[in-house]
Amino acid sequence: MSQVLHDIEKKIIDSLKKKSEQSPEQLLESTELSIDQIRRGIEWLRLKDLAQVKESSKVEISLGQNGIDALKNGLPERKLMDLIKDEPKTFDEIRTVLSGAGFNAAIANAKKNGWVKIDKTESGSKISIKEKPIETPEEKLISFIGDKSIAEEQIENKLALKFLLQRPDYIIESTEKSKTVSLTEKASKIDSTLSDSGAIDVEADVPPVFAARTHPLKDTIDEIREIFVKLGFSEIQGNLTQSSFWNFDALFTPQDHPARELQDTFYLENIKSEKPATPKQIKQVSTSHSQNWRYNWKLSESQKMVLRTHTTCVTIKYLAENKPDEARVFSLGRVFRNEKLSYKHLVEFNQIEGIVVGNNTTLRDLMGIQKEFYKQLGLTKIKFWPTFFPYTEPSLQTMVYNEKLGKWVELFGMGIFRSEVTKPLGITKPVLAWGGGIERIAMLKYDLDDVREFYNNNLNWLRTV
Amino acid sequence: MPVVELNLNRIKKLISGNTTKKKIIDTLPFLGLDIESQDGDQIRIEYSPNRPDYSTDFGIALGLQGLLGIKKGIHKTNIKKQGKFEIKVDSSVSKIRPFVTGIIAKNGLIDDQTIKQLMNMQEDLHFGIGRKRKKSSIGLHDLDKISFPLIYTTSTREHSFVPLNSESENTIEQILSETEVGKNYGWVLEDSKNVPIIVDADGKTISFPPIINAAVTTVTTKTKNVLVEVTSLDQDAAEDMLSVVATILQMAGFEITQLTVSGKKNSTPELSSRIIQYDIKLTEEILGLKLSPSAMITSLKKCRLDAVQKGKKIRCIIPRYRFDIFGPMDIVEEIALGYGIDNLEPKLSPSQTLGEKSSMTKKLEIVSKIAVGFGFTEALNSNLTSKKILFDSTNRNSSQMISVMDSKSQEHTILRDSILPGLIENLSKNIHESYPQKLFETGTVFSRAKPIHESINLAGVIAYKESNYSEMKAILQSILKTGFKINSKTKTPKNNVSIFDNGRHSDVVVGEKTVGSIGELNSNVLENFKIRTSVIAFEIKLSGLIFD
Repeated sequence: MSQVLHDIEKKIIDSLKKKSEQSPEQLLESTELSIDQIRRGIEWLRLKDLAQVKESSKVEISLGQNGIDALKNGLPERKLMDLIKDEPKTFDEIRTVLSGAGFNAAIANAKKNGWVKIDKTESGSKISIKEKPIETPEEKLISFIGDKSIAEEQIENKLALKFLLQRPDYIIESTEKSKTVSLTEKASKIDSTLSDSGAIDVEADVPPVFAARTHPLKDTIDEIREIFVKLGFSEIQGNLTQSSFWNFDALFTPQDHPARELQDTFYLENIKSEKPATPKQIKQVSTSHSQNWRYNWKLSESQKMVLRTHTTCVTIKYLAENKPDEARVFSLGRVFRNEKLSYKHLVEFNQIEGIVVGNNTTLRDLMGIQKEFYKQLGLTKIKFWPTFFPYTEPSLQTMVYNEKLGKWVELFGMGIFRSEVTKPLGITKPVLAWGGGIERIAMLKYDLDDVREFYNNNLNWLRTV
Repeated sequence: MPVVELNLNRIKKLISGNTTKKKIIDTLPFLGLDIESQDGDQIRIEYSPNRPDYSTDFGIALGLQGLLGIKKGIHKTNIKKQGKFEIKVDSSVSKIRPFVTGIIAKNGLIDDQTIKQLMNMQEDLHFGIGRKRKKSSIGLHDLDKISFPLIYTTSTREHSFVPLNSESENTIEQILSETEVGKNYGWVLEDSKNVPIIVDADGKTISFPPIINAAVTTVTTKTKNVLVEVTSLDQDAAEDMLSVVATILQMAGFEITQLTVSGKKNSTPELSSRIIQYDIKLTEEILGLKLSPSAMITSLKKCRLDAVQKGKKIRCIIPRYRFDIFGPMDIVEEIALGYGIDNLEPKLSPSQTLGEKSSMTKKLEIVSKIAVGFGFTEALNSNLTSKKILFDSTNRNSSQMISVMDSKSQEHTILRDSILPGLIENLSKNIHESYPQKLFETGTVFSRAKPIHESINLAGVIAYKESNYSEMKAILQSILKTGFKINSKTKTPKNNVSIFDNGRHSDVVVGEKTVGSIGELNSNVLENFKIRTSVIAFEIKLSGLIFD
């Protein structure tokens, strides 16, 4: 089996072949890698069963505060011996030099070593040399340790250590955990110089990264916009806030129509449009309503500002202002409905609407455009059903077969603007209109069953969809 | 869209011709009826509000007969004329609810299913063309409990009678304040001191329109003969409603007899047909379909209209209940329906025009591309948001806020004047996702003008521990520079912006004009949104900068 090794792994293996057991710190020196690289490399090798790591703990011995003092100035008993070197001294005389614990320890240890004798005199106890003091094992150990830290097992005279440990603050014992790395049998068979230089472990798992992206719904919107452009339509734009005049009245929706009620449409609080349209437009729309719907049309109702309930207000305004003999234009953007939020209803969603004015403006042409539009979206199984829209006649809806749901789904609607809509605004040519909601198509595309997901901006979804 | 429930066996019987359930189901959509759901033989149908005749299975059967070719041409309402039944109008109603009309339907059979269908029809008529009973409302009564002539008059609110579904007498006041229909529809009568009532020759109150009928005339499965009365603010609207009921009851097997209406401004309903002259050439102009006049006539008859050719015109006869038909364009649609929408071949004519995206769209596409290049993910938020997100949590001034009325959703009540608060809210919802997080959004913001000014803004946020002002400033300047060759500067602002940390934000300036601001979100805002990392943000106005 060929083994792919990273350069880091190779360096570690080579070093371990030269010296079989090494700590990570030792490898740091021998491989010239960084400590992070060594840790990583050891972990990789261990996972591949090429290295084993032994964890051990060892005790280190060093001198404490008193030990360091003894190293410089001798143990208290040695200091005592220096004091009485020439003549015997009383306890009081000694106390002026060796105080407190040092005094007691000096007397006790010198006695124990058999170096001194104590005579009681009138002027108090006198201490004098009994025998010439030789260097003790404890003193030897202190000089051996010196200012270093030494592994416990290197100390031969365990008894001296034991004695010194019993005395306060002479010796510090510390336990250090350490790792040693060695190669497994499998690794010793690898000739690391044979594997390709620069090869990497191509099978190893990597942490996920996420590309930044445009919003998935925006992508669908752009795709649909492109298709409209491809079909010869040009984009027009209009405001999201509209007067009731353009949102409703110009589209022949009577002022007492249920769709105009607060519970379906968002009205802006205390805001109205003083002059929603030209005096002529207002007069003619008013007449059309009064004659056809037989009621008293009120200007004040048409001045109320709403959040547009469809993009049709933008297209009709365009037609009324430009009165083109020929045109293919579309309007795309947010529309609003005062609805309770649910998995299939939003208060705000995107709609597109295209209109055709001029030649080739029969219902069959409109159906042809629809068919082509769906074909571009990859939807080929479609049919047309009659439907009702208040401002178009005849009106159709497209049904698209959804393979996954196994049923026909309603998508875009279409129709020819009623003359009650076009005539009062001075539009003389027939106007075909078609369009619908975009979220519905995007839901099919992204396989969503809750439309709210588009506006949650959940990064987990945005990063992975 | 209103809904009606049908039983396939019953409708098959009503059609009374050679057909199958499958054929019925396949044909329904071509009448403009959507099948909402099906459970065995029970199907729920959505119909258009402009066709109240489809609010019962009788009306749908009438339409199906035509398209299936079983019965074609007009379903004429034959009204027997006799002066026995009369309603007199007292002038006191003129200021409250001035019009009444009605009809007598005799010798019918009413089963439970028929009662259900008639109730559905009544509800639909009330809600739709009745405008929640305000414009017009309808009452059905057991004819045999009534002594003629009737009087349509008014009474005080102390007047009492036994209303439908009750066993004791109630005053008008009680009905309005204590019953559910009273509470739901009492507003229709506004504050008028007197209210309309219909009283029979024996002095019995039979109806308190538009609220409730009397219990005494309740229609049950034992009822053979029915009085239909419609009261209204408008005579035509009243007769619209009456014509639908008359058509349905006749289809249900009743004989229709005239109710004489007498009184100021009121008159006995004729429910007569109308004539529309149709120009033959319209069919080809509108549908793109070459049809012979006789084929057009056949199509119209399949839609239960009558039609005769007169030279280059077709004389169409429209029954009274088809008040959805206004003029020639409606006739075109009837021809298309009768011909069969599925028989219309789509045709694709090449476009004579070249399509183009708006310049704004093109510019915004550039913004998106560069922002994504800098590692920003695009967010989409609502234009309609909440005061909490937009102002309260961001310490922003709400004095100029634009509210909508009666929103059904608490989270959607205020039009945004800034995009940034929405993006901060997005960060707040994503605190468990990995950092760095970078978001941007372009969209409309709103301010008060005459009446409203709309402009397009761009906002961006960077959230992670090491995020800093300089990083964002560099990105923003690069977006404007590489995308639009615009040099921008940052200037120490004169006033603090409450959303940012004092001393850690600046104005973004192009030429002499301040186009936005950039800075580090202050800790109070971060706390309000429960964000535990530092966030740098900017928002600039694109309208007037990269497009008009």
